[in-house]
Amino acid sequence: MKIRTKGRLATTTALGTIGLIAAMIWWANSEVEEADHQRRQTAEIARALNDLRLVTFEYILHRPERARVQEQQVSVRLNRAIASNLFSDREANEVLADLRERTAATHRIFAEFLTSPAGGDAEGPDGEATRRFEAQLSSRLLILQQETLADAFRLSDYSTQRIQEAQQRVVYVIVVGLALIALTTAGVAWVIDRHVLAPIGRLEQATREVAAGNWNFKLDVGREDEIGEMSRNFDAMTHALRESFTQIERKNDELAALNKEIEAFSYSVSHDLRGPLRSMDGFSLALLEDYGDKLDDDAKDYLNRIRAASQRMGRLIDELLGLSRVTRTELSIRAVNLSALTREIAESLERQQPQRSVKWVIDEGMTVHADKSLMHIAMQNLLENAWKFTGKTEKPVIRVGMIEHDGRKDCFVADNGVGFDMAYADRLFGAFQRLHHESEFSGTGIGLAIVQRIFRRHEGKIWAHAKAGHGATFFFCLREPNHDRHEQDHPAG
Amino acid sequence: MIDTNKIILLVEDNPDDVTLTLRAFKRSHLMNPITVARDGIEALDFLFARAADSGRASAPLPTLVILDLKLPKLDGLGVLKAIRDDERTRYLPVVIMTSSKEEQDLISGYALGANSYVRKPVDFSEFLEAVKVLGIYWLMINETPPHGTTQ
Repeated sequence: MKIRTKGRLATTTALGTIGLIAAMIWWANSEVEEADHQRRQTAEIARALNDLRLVTFEYILHRPERARVQEQQVSVRLNRAIASNLFSDREANEVLADLRERTAATHRIFAEFLTSPAGGDAEGPDGEATRRFEAQLSSRLLILQQETLADAFRLSDYSTQRIQEAQQRVVYVIVVGLALIALTTAGVAWVIDRHVLAPIGRLEQATREVAAGNWNFKLDVGREDEIGEMSRNFDAMTHALRESFTQIERKNDELAALNKEIEAFSYSVSHDLRGPLRSMDGFSLALLEDYGDKLDDDAKDYLNRIRAASQRMGRLIDELLGLSRVTRTELSIRAVNLSALTREIAESLERQQPQRSVKWVIDEGMTVHADKSLMHIAMQNLLENAWKFTGKTEKPVIRVGMIEHDGRKDCFVADNGVGFDMAYADRLFGAFQRLHHESEFSGTGIGLAIVQRIFRRHEGKIWAHAKAGHGATFFFCLREPNHDRHEQDHPAG
Repeated sequence: MIDTNKIILLVEDNPDDVTLTLRAFKRSHLMNPITVARDGIEALDFLFARAADSGRASAPLPTLVILDLKLPKLDGLGVLKAIRDDERTRYLPVVIMTSSKEEQDLISGYALGANSYVRKPVDFSEFLEAVKVLGIYWLMINETPPHGTTQ
């Protein structure tokens, strides 16, 4: 059975019990009210009977006309009081019927009194007979009246007893009702403890086991209710987690193996690929030096081309290794003074080509959170580009600064050099992609790929705005260090 | 001016590189005798006068060892470690001259006690310049410790 059904059942039972108790109380109350009404009515009958006895007695003693009239009135009152059928009980009704008969008899005897001459005043044997007759009548009357009074008291007792019984019944109903409610509550508590709390406890234990890494923990509380369903869902979830965890572990292993392979590959490239190039360059030069006199200009030109190509290949290999190193290096993020770094690189560029005069505009106090050595490589590439592409500009200016944009700090490197057509902007950051002929501006086309990889590794990005002939601006942003987060080393840029 | 008794041991497996290095020494007018070892074991055999070179037991040690890292049998770092582990060669000047400038190679090289680390450039003109400077420094300017010095 579902917990929901059980809960509904318990609620229904409790509400039913409470309703039953209420109904019983209402019923007992109306019972008491009715009995109370009967008692009051009985008291009225008793009072009327008492009055009747008094006026009858007065009439017998003194025969005043007033007493006769009063007897009439009291009789009417009494008849009215006993006329209604007050009782549903057979015994009480019999008593009431008796009472009615006796009252009628009393009235008849009194009527006989009225018809007899004023016995008290008569003389002689007639008077004697009348007196005896009247004495007989009055004693019968008194007995009857005594009996009617006794009846009235019996009825009164009956009403009182009914009230007591009704009250007792209320107490009984309340006791039984409370016991029922207590039983229901205990039952519900037991059900909750056994069918809800205990399985939840096991579920909680299971979550702790799984959290501690015990992926093989099997829960299944073996129930058909909501908690059973929840436990089965939990098992399914754990199973799915275990699957994906295993998969991630496998992928991680693969990735680690792949990284090792790349490492070995880079090492091999670094050691073995440059050797043949050295031979090509070295022996070409040897030919030029040792046999130069036997070679014509074409032959010398070819040898020089071999040398240039070898050297270019050497540079490409070096830059590719640089790109791969950027990916493999572990990040060490700290605050880097970008202004100082920029000035340092600018000065070294000026030392290399002192004949050029470039105006540098570098914002003060720029700080970024980054890996310093990677940031150096990125800025070196960006500034070298700006330096290179302003080589044919009349008044070269290179600006490095920081602007706030949408609450984010973007840095930029801007130059007024040759720029480029934005139509080719998407090729800008690809490895070996060049937007200018090498005869115009030298380079391998790897620099910006390295720069982009560096910013990606910092969870930042780089983008550019430019116009052919009107310079280029490279914007970049890095992840703000506002969230303390564990720095992870991702193998891919 | 150059003391031609000062022997140089060149540990290099690539014959092209051997030829080019010898050419660079010649063109730099460094006339010192150069012994070439083509792998790590050969280099140690020469240094410690073992096996084929056993007849040279009392011969002097080279003044300078030019060591490539990637070698057959025993690699350059292994050779360097053996040199530094032996009392006789503990202070022998060793210059690593190799293709790579991988960080791990640089760190391991210096950690094992290399005296210098030179990267072979592709451009032979630059290589020539490097060899020239190297030869002048280690053969003429630098004072080597007396032979047989121990701690």
